[in-house]
Amino acid sequence: MIKQIMYVIITTTFLSSCMVVKEYEKVNINDPDMALSNKKCDRNISTMHSYREAAVGANGGKTGGGCGCN
Amino acid sequence: MEVKQVAVVVVTKKEIYMKKIILLMCVFAFTKVYSQTSPDSNMLYTKRVLESAEIDFLTSLYMQNGDNAAVSGGIGTEELLDLTGAIVISIPLNADDVLIIDAGVSTYTSASSSNIDPFDKKRKADPFVASSGASKEDEWTNITISYSHSSDDRNTVWSGKASVSSEYDYFSAGVGGSYARLYNQKNTELSVSANVFVDSWSLIYPVELRGSNNKKGDDDDFNINDYTITGNQNYSPSFERFNSSGRNSYSIGFGFSQILHKNIQGSLALDFIQQQGLLSTPFQRVYFSDVEDSFIENFQLADDVERLPDFRFKVASGARLNWYLNERVTLRTFYRYYFDDWGIDSHTASIEMPVKISDYFTLYPSYRFYNQTASDYFNPYNKALSTDKYYTSDYDVSGYSANQFGFGVSYTDIFTEARIWKFGLKSVDLKFYQYDRNSNFTSSIVTAGIKIVID
Repeated sequence: MIKQIMYVIITTTFLSSCMVVKEYEKVNINDPDMALSNKKCDRNISTMHSYREAAVGANGGKTGGGCGCN
Repeated sequence: MEVKQVAVVVVTKKEIYMKKIILLMCVFAFTKVYSQTSPDSNMLYTKRVLESAEIDFLTSLYMQNGDNAAVSGGIGTEELLDLTGAIVISIPLNADDVLIIDAGVSTYTSASSSNIDPFDKKRKADPFVASSGASKEDEWTNITISYSHSSDDRNTVWSGKASVSSEYDYFSAGVGGSYARLYNQKNTELSVSANVFVDSWSLIYPVELRGSNNKKGDDDDFNINDYTITGNQNYSPSFERFNSSGRNSYSIGFGFSQILHKNIQGSLALDFIQQQGLLSTPFQRVYFSDVEDSFIENFQLADDVERLPDFRFKVASGARLNWYLNERVTLRTFYRYYFDDWGIDSHTASIEMPVKISDYFTLYPSYRFYNQTASDYFNPYNKALSTDKYYTSDYDVSGYSANQFGFGVSYTDIFTEARIWKFGLKSVDLKFYQYDRNSNFTSSIVTAGIKIVID
């Protein structure tokens, strides 16, 4: 798994060095639906996931605090 | 001779005159250039991080049900209803700094929590029936204050935050910070973040285990001698109270995001989380398979509460890839691999496909898959061994798979044309998610959010 993650990181880094998107070309990238995070209104579903599931983290959500025991 | 002298004087005067004109033109040109470039430069480099104050009103209604309540040792109703409301106020303090105040309240009724004390004398105690005890409902309150600062060139962002949350039996205080640096004409971002949470329990145990050694918070009304015990009538659990009530969580996260194309961007995240202290929930019962069962009415009496190690280390790695397919459709994907030293491995994958159906409205169909292996300490109902050091029958750490389907609709008006006085409506979001495990657990949630901009 670690090898796969490293492969993705290295590949992404090399791909990114091939081109630079200029500011005036970022119209689509700046679309609200392209944000690399969840919408604010989704945070309660993320909280539910962190309470009901073992896995947390790596999604910009909470990674500690609160018992979530109900 | 005189003519020559006159000519030289005329030429000299002309040169001086020309020099004056050139000097004036230079001054004018410089002034002109300066007057044109200076304001533009200022506009370019001092564009405000947040143009005006924003308020988000967030709410959700969450419902769940299942047959494996941890409070009653892995059997019983998990029925729960939670109503949450929050307000998030983002205030631009100047061109570079933003203050965010986030306050929320969550109130819930929980059938499983109510069975911390199932003997309410109103109906037969039963793990599948909610009790009317005080623990049937609670309220969670939270406030988080964040501050962020962006550099003049907007290539560096510092942020810090502090939070406090409280429930009847739980208190949590946290601090955190992050640093992000943009490179490559803002095509690449590297970030690091760290958080610390210092939590504490008010220890509440299942009512039958409190015995005569009652402490603050215990229900003194319960006396086991008032009831008829069936099954093993010699009920004598070897229960010991926890001797600490603190729980600390530390996390550090690394992020990398990259614009790959004018229509594609992605990110990678790696989080390390360490928890130590009381990681067991003191009111979650465990039933041993090597101890004869005792009952009052239809409710099995606890042999012990869950016992878990006082240390846990978690690692989560995630990746996002968002693709702007065309002016109508965007594809949002997420994958996460997680593992911890309690033996849990987990995969999460989700896809969301926002579809713009008009200039203002977008639909959000989504699907999410989740699975995890069971913790080394998990035992199904009545399967734990009294000889083990650690055990739990909390099905949240059992092995299972879950599917989640979602659908939402969003109204967005970046120009905030709909206005009341100084308030402009920027967006309205409404979403519904249905979540089903393959282990008799189901939940659904409706979330809503309204964003208002203040001039």
